[in-house]
Amino acid sequence: MIACVAVVGHQNNPLYLQSFTGADDALKLHHIVHCSLDVIDERVNNPKRSVITLNESYLGLLYPTESYKVYGYLSNTKVKFLVVTTDLDVKDTDIRSFFRRFHAAYVDAVSNPFHVPGKKIISRIFAVRVSGIVKAFAPGTYG
Amino acid sequence: MAAGPRPRKSFLRHEKPRRATRRSERRMAPLVPKSGDAIFASIDRVVGPMNTAEASTKSEALINAELFTLTYGAMVRQLLTDLEEVDVVNKQLDQMGYNIGVRLIDEFLAKSNVSRCVDFKETADVIAKVGLKMFLGVTASVSNWDPEGSSFSLVLDDNPLVDFVELPDTFQGLHYCNILSGVIRGALEMVSMKTEITWIRDMLHGDDAYELRVKLLKQIPEEYPYKDDE
Repeated sequence: MIACVAVVGHQNNPLYLQSFTGADDALKLHHIVHCSLDVIDERVNNPKRSVITLNESYLGLLYPTESYKVYGYLSNTKVKFLVVTTDLDVKDTDIRSFFRRFHAAYVDAVSNPFHVPGKKIISRIFAVRVSGIVKAFAPGTYG
Repeated sequence: MAAGPRPRKSFLRHEKPRRATRRSERRMAPLVPKSGDAIFASIDRVVGPMNTAEASTKSEALINAELFTLTYGAMVRQLLTDLEEVDVVNKQLDQMGYNIGVRLIDEFLAKSNVSRCVDFKETADVIAKVGLKMFLGVTASVSNWDPEGSSFSLVLDDNPLVDFVELPDTFQGLHYCNILSGVIRGALEMVSMKTEITWIRDMLHGDDAYELRVKLLKQIPEEYPYKDDE
């Protein structure tokens, strides 16, 4: 089950943070997201990426903690999408398609002429779409 | 400049490598660089799904519908920054639309070959089915005629100007598509009909469709600037 999703801008400024579990561990989830940013920076600066990469870099599993896994995805404008999930085994293809849909929703939200780039995403439609994508991702793990 | 990763329908359809196309299938002037092909090849929204015969006769370049939407959005945004008051911006959009309309009507009449409208009802149908389709790529429906037949409602279910737009709370009074009302007003004035156009429903304010109320104020008979001296 997805615990939270986050979008972080290219200066590591938070653009969108939404948790889908009970509210009491929201702070812990934010902390985990914050730590994952360091892991992303490490991967980005790592010369292991000497092979020419695609525009959209799916970073994969970033940071497994005791009960959470964090997956990352970097767009070519250095906008980072993060997903914190409690599922023990998540298929790579599922996460990839999740990120693709997430990215599409983000692009639509940013195309709003009233959105100021660099500021938080206040679009309600974006929030609804993201909740929809999250629900569609884990249909069988409720209850 | 590398194309950004925007997996939209209009892009994906044209990402196949370019094959030699027949002239009737080509939609752009042949000078567009190859990398731009995928982006500029799809103009479905702006001009509507045209058949290939029309495509070959259009000599002007067609643009991507998203570019049009984003340009309009940027323009409204800039107007808001410059003028700051929502009412002033609404008036300005209407005035801009009016200026567009008085010029657009000639192009419309030249391209569409419609005959002179017999009455206002026919005018309404022509605007909704032919005019809007030609320029915006969407058709509207005409409804709510009042008993004298002098005003009607134009209902648009789909509007390419407002893709991706969400009005923030500070601009709730803004009629984002006010340019459309100006265009219709300007165009009709050039064919001797003075009208008044107001927005009844607006999807950006939460309604389910866009509804414009067009009211005919009076028909202005054509005036000649000289007197016949017989």
